[in-house]
Amino acid sequence: MGSEAYYINLIVNGVVEGLVIGLSALAINLVFAVSRFPNAATGDFLTVGAYAGFGAQQLGMDNVIVQALFAIMAGVAVSLTSYWAIFRKLAGRPMVAFLLASIGIAFFSRSVLSFFVGHEPQFIRLPMRPLIEIAGMRLQIMDLWLALVAAITVAIALIVLHWTPIGRRMRAISDNSVLAQASGIRSQRVMVTLWAMVGVVTGIAGLIFGIKATVSPELGWDVLLPSFAAAILGGVGSAGGAVLAGVVLGVLQELSTPVLGFSYKVVVSFGVLLLILLFRPQGLFGRRELVR
Amino acid sequence: MIAYVVAILIIVGIYMLLTVSLDLQYGYTGLINFGLVGFFALGAYGSSLLSLADYPFLISVIFGIFLPAFAVLPLGLLTLRLREDYLAIVTLGFSETVRLLIVNEDWLTNGTLGLPGIPRPFSDLGGQLSDWAFLAIVVSCNIIVFFLIRIVLTSPFGRLLQAVRDNEVTVVSLGKSPLRAKMRALFMGAGIAGLAGALYAHYITYVTPDQVLPLMTFYVWTALILGGVGSLRGCFVGAFLLVFILEGTRFVRDIFPGIFVVEMASVRLALVGLLLILVILYRPYGIFGSPSRK
Repeated sequence: MGSEAYYINLIVNGVVEGLVIGLSALAINLVFAVSRFPNAATGDFLTVGAYAGFGAQQLGMDNVIVQALFAIMAGVAVSLTSYWAIFRKLAGRPMVAFLLASIGIAFFSRSVLSFFVGHEPQFIRLPMRPLIEIAGMRLQIMDLWLALVAAITVAIALIVLHWTPIGRRMRAISDNSVLAQASGIRSQRVMVTLWAMVGVVTGIAGLIFGIKATVSPELGWDVLLPSFAAAILGGVGSAGGAVLAGVVLGVLQELSTPVLGFSYKVVVSFGVLLLILLFRPQGLFGRRELVR
Repeated sequence: MIAYVVAILIIVGIYMLLTVSLDLQYGYTGLINFGLVGFFALGAYGSSLLSLADYPFLISVIFGIFLPAFAVLPLGLLTLRLREDYLAIVTLGFSETVRLLIVNEDWLTNGTLGLPGIPRPFSDLGGQLSDWAFLAIVVSCNIIVFFLIRIVLTSPFGRLLQAVRDNEVTVVSLGKSPLRAKMRALFMGAGIAGLAGALYAHYITYVTPDQVLPLMTFYVWTALILGGVGSLRGCFVGAFLLVFILEGTRFVRDIFPGIFVVEMASVRLALVGLLLILVILYRPYGIFGSPSRK
């Protein structure tokens, strides 16, 4: 029983962490679908969100919902600023320009944060809740809440993408941007919405990760590689697939810890990434993207 | 003062090798390597381990060149049939994996403590003279690499590489294999990065995982785009500028004594990030470059 409970705990942790990876992969795929580059600053958007939540706590706001609002606002602010000040001006340039600019943004935002808040890990403290028992499993109620919030965020993102006019425009630009503009879609407005969505998703993901683990300037960088792996596993450009792949990776990473230890989590993701590229480079739900 | 200048020149020389390696892969062939530091690390640790096992300097360095060169091949085979950004993501993951292996496999690498006491050639000449001797080694490596690459680039194969970069479809239609050309560029580039790592390890005489952070890869990218992509002369300019900037940040603390060492690391990271963004936005062809040259 003891070891069983241990593994169930690992799986629950893996699901929560996997949802964070999934949200971050969703943000990567949203940008990729429209702007065609892997956004390496995604991880550091998460870090900004986590620190905003922590900052709200430091200001005496212990309510999680208030902290979440802070995280979302900070995520949107950094994401929109990146788009408006940098990515927007790179339109028409080769992919590598976007990629390097996103690395620049990642480094810059991380170093500004670490300059002011230092490198020590911080904690977002929430009131202790009792363990609950479901079907003989003892679970922390907090984990369930975090998983629920992540799932709702994913659902809203998917609904916006598939059932609203703005989402339809996003998908139109993703499929064929020239045709979309010729049909009178104002791409600027769509892009702003897209980057705002990226900010919301990464802000929430960052806060969840901050609550679950610790808040540190390297938080986002550690999530970035698993997120890239999840984005590719789910299928580049596929929003739902990214989230599912994130959960799979999160659980795999956690289950690997008794064998390989905590420090090799990222390596597990990298190994999975290589296997996907070997056997199914289009991912689980993506279109095949070969060199054209 | 002279000692300081010699030390700086050795570091510049090592960064030049790295920049040339990246230029060969990205500037001339269009391959986006985001894991350069991983190959540097393999070169540094590979050469150090052999050297500590009493193999001669030359054998160790040659091992440090070929270890990363062969390590890049499976990565290339996996990603080069796919879109260009897959290579970037996979090489980035590779360099983190190499670093984590170095941190965790204590039995081989001594973990975070690093490997001390790596022998430096000509160290028996003593202080100043041994530094000069090492500078001579670094400079001759640079000259050899420079001429080898010149020969490669002006050969039909070099034109094939640039054709792959500019228009892959044409290359295929002429019956050439872009994959094979790219694999060779990866192989050579990784080998040069390994050489840089090996030289670095034997110069500093100890290696730790902290010397091979992903940040270093992007130092080299910054040097490359500062100097101008696709020009060997640009590599030298870029490496000089980079080391000048990195060393310059040392003196920031003389002006603002209140800043701690840890904060200095942040300032340096911010500077590299900002520099990357600004150069890409405003000087995409390098500080002195112009679009017409390419």
